[in-house]
Amino acid sequence: MALTNKEYKALEDIVGQEYITREPVIMESYNQVWGNKLAFGDKRHNPPAAVLLPGTVEEIQEIVRYCNKAGILFKPSARAFEYVATKLSCDRGILLELKRFNRILEIDEKNQHAVVEPFVTVCQLQNEAGRLGFYTGKPGVGYSASIISLACCHQEMTISQLYTSGYGRNVLGAEWVLPTGDILNLGTGGREGGWFSGDGPGFSLRGILRGRAGANGGNGVITKCSVKLYPWYSDSPMDQKMKRESGEALSATRLAAVPDNYRAVVLTFPTTEQMMKAATEIGQSEIACIVAPSYLVTSVGQEGNDEQWAAMQNAPPQDPTKVGRSVPVFVNGHSARELAYREKAVMSVMEKWEGNLDPEYNDPEVLAQMFQYQMWSTGVGGLRGTGDFMVSIQGADGSTDMHLNYRPVEFDAFKPFSERGGIVQPSMGMSYRPMEHFALGSSGGIGTGYDPWDENSLAAAREYMNMVYDSNSPFRRFSYSNRGAMMQVEEIEHVHERWGPIYDNADLWLQKVRNMLDPNRVADWSGYIPPEYDKK
Amino acid sequence: MSWEDYEHDMQRCTRCSYCKYIPWRNIKNFDFYEGCPSAARYHWHAFAAGGKFNLGYSLLKGKIEIDDTFLDVLYKCNMDGSCDIACKVNQDIEPLQHMQELRIKCVEEGQLHPVHMLVIEGLRKQDNMMMADKADRGKWAEGLDVKDLSREKGEVLFHAGCRYSFDQELWPVARAGLSILRKAGVDLGIMAADESCCGGRAYELGYAGELTKYCEHQIEVWRNSDIKTVVTPCADCYACFSVLYDKIGKKPAIEVMHITQYLDKLIREGKLRLKNSLPMKVTYHDPCHLGRLAEPWVHWNGREYKPDGTLLWVHDPPKKYRRGTFGIYDPPRNVLKSIPGLDFVEMFRIREYGWCCGAGGGVIDAFPDFAIWTGSQRLREAKEVGAEAIVSACPWCKRVFMDAAAETGDNIKVLDILELIEQSL
Repeated sequence: MALTNKEYKALEDIVGQEYITREPVIMESYNQVWGNKLAFGDKRHNPPAAVLLPGTVEEIQEIVRYCNKAGILFKPSARAFEYVATKLSCDRGILLELKRFNRILEIDEKNQHAVVEPFVTVCQLQNEAGRLGFYTGKPGVGYSASIISLACCHQEMTISQLYTSGYGRNVLGAEWVLPTGDILNLGTGGREGGWFSGDGPGFSLRGILRGRAGANGGNGVITKCSVKLYPWYSDSPMDQKMKRESGEALSATRLAAVPDNYRAVVLTFPTTEQMMKAATEIGQSEIACIVAPSYLVTSVGQEGNDEQWAAMQNAPPQDPTKVGRSVPVFVNGHSARELAYREKAVMSVMEKWEGNLDPEYNDPEVLAQMFQYQMWSTGVGGLRGTGDFMVSIQGADGSTDMHLNYRPVEFDAFKPFSERGGIVQPSMGMSYRPMEHFALGSSGGIGTGYDPWDENSLAAAREYMNMVYDSNSPFRRFSYSNRGAMMQVEEIEHVHERWGPIYDNADLWLQKVRNMLDPNRVADWSGYIPPEYDKK
Repeated sequence: MSWEDYEHDMQRCTRCSYCKYIPWRNIKNFDFYEGCPSAARYHWHAFAAGGKFNLGYSLLKGKIEIDDTFLDVLYKCNMDGSCDIACKVNQDIEPLQHMQELRIKCVEEGQLHPVHMLVIEGLRKQDNMMMADKADRGKWAEGLDVKDLSREKGEVLFHAGCRYSFDQELWPVARAGLSILRKAGVDLGIMAADESCCGGRAYELGYAGELTKYCEHQIEVWRNSDIKTVVTPCADCYACFSVLYDKIGKKPAIEVMHITQYLDKLIREGKLRLKNSLPMKVTYHDPCHLGRLAEPWVHWNGREYKPDGTLLWVHDPPKKYRRGTFGIYDPPRNVLKSIPGLDFVEMFRIREYGWCCGAGGGVIDAFPDFAIWTGSQRLREAKEVGAEAIVSACPWCKRVFMDAAAETGDNIKVLDILELIEQSL
């Protein structure tokens, strides 16, 4: 149901005529995001009833209060480059696009944190902080991702978290417009002393912020947040020397060399077990900034699909198990001596577990490209193949032993799909992101390629996902905490219904908290726990 | 290909919004990281190329119709191709061609912008895009005693283009171009009143028939003359002659050069010596039609397929996407760097990812405020790098920059590269 003229006028009075629209043509550009075909069976989902571009926190509060009064669903959106990013749970819903909140408000060098607004991207903070000698984490979703979306609305877990922790653990403070329109300041954001806090909003509040699968605006609007920064010992990414041969396209632009004060190597071991032992030891020693088991770049990127296919055809045959037995390790140091010490320590662990520096994976040009990709996230190359992919198993959190046991189960489960075709797992198995220097084990991830516009591929993808997300599947015995749901690949009610009981009925308390914060149920729940559902 | 043929591209647009900005890895200053003027100025996602893929898809599926809003979104776009370059850093899809075909569809269905209708009416009657009397076309060169190649013989045709021919404030630039070439001993002439529009700007508005008409006319005129080379100081004309004519299968048999290419060649051959020192800090604005849009057209016929065991859409035969790599970027820079005393500084958005002046896609005619806004953003960038003057190589760019400077009270000098050469000779 569309908004009435009176309702529209009331919203228009808040933001001004220039910053609101309900033109049907324009609404059609707010309902098409990658992943929609898999999630909804169509490229398009229902369009919003209106889109607003508020300019101040006070305007957001007014909008939200009016939504409460008029019974209109609302959903904030920053960069909107994600499954269900613009999806509303009913037609009588509005989107608040936060593009006018685009400032880095503060980079506090002394206390090593930054305060940002929702439209600030990882790219922006990475580069600006880099010029001051700081680093923010690398997301797996490309440079255009919003810091606040990563930090407050999801639980982004990527390779660089060995050095920076995950974005979800980096929130120090947040300004939160609740679904009632009230403001809640979390962490020390609400104190006069500034935004710095060693603890941040606290473990449980962070959980409420993000929910089980990423809040996606389901609990109000985060209008500011403070995130931690980490030391960076080189030039800012935007000041690094890039390489492009004459006649090469911009898409082939790459980092010329691993920066000074950093070293990148790929260690290869006789077995996956030895690789994981070595990776764990290096991680727990806290001498490396990235340790990424089974997660590596093996060739220089190509400018397009045709060029990539040609390179694939010309590439020598590879041992399919070798990626799984290899681990990229990046070390850094504030001095040459510290760097040399850390490098030496890595080598000694490598020798202990009978590893080597396989020349095939240690080409300087490829290492530079891997460094660029893994430290900074320079794009989402996985989308070029078909326009889609899914992170089928993101966040299979567990110990090293669990992952080693899990890996063959996953391999067997995928085997029939691999033989049938239609979907592929290019990495030949799971790769791992360290959690807290491997002290908490690691988080496993598998990218699965499919083609949403190929019916056979789409069907295979759905079948595979259904199996993965079935709590009675072969993965169940690992208490497998799939966070592929992070991207809402898994249907949102399913996430809570099926997995809630496994985690102490977390869905029930989350639902209670959600309904307490949103008594009139006006915050969209496409990506957050629904206000009610029938327990099956 | 028609607009419907881009359905697979519409489907594969991910909403990454890369089309709105210059490629992330090329950003040098976050005050100047926007690439698409339309998306920067008009708030809504629909104004970006990605949004237009969405509109195309919804139109294809019968969910929307072409209405005034659709036309507003489609035509408040400079067709400058920044989106195309940035998108193709990550994707193998064709946002610019899709928007071009949507415009052609609108024209075919009579969904026209009223201002553009007047411009095209003028073109059909007077053979120019300036709504001016065709009899006045050669007036800009009066008194220069230049050959009229419609009656005399000459090797090089100097094609001024509509803007230089009828914008009196810009006549000194065109005259400078002519004088420079003559001083270098080039045997050249003009077509005077017999020169006509290239058809490129009409094509960008969606009037595909006009491109064919003027293309055939030009080629016929050139064929029946002794002209060996066409030199134009207009970036739009250059892109039209060298790219669009080829695109529609009518590539000219004779050599076409932008004047900066020709001057670069003359300087390298020692036929043009720049002597006077010009102690001035300048920056260069890449005209879109001389830069990324001047990349040669790539003809491709074949099939799109996924090889067995992959999830990679590829082409048989392989298709070379136009990613802006082979635009004309170095010749104008070489020329500028040849001027003694000139302090050349680059802006943040250059070459493939240069910011548009604001004139393209019919915006200068239908939405002059948007054109001026876009131009003023470029002046701001030029000043940010400390330039005293912004130098371009296209009359449309100079026109918009002059208007933007006047509108904003900006005191930065707006020059064409030819004006500097003339001073340095």
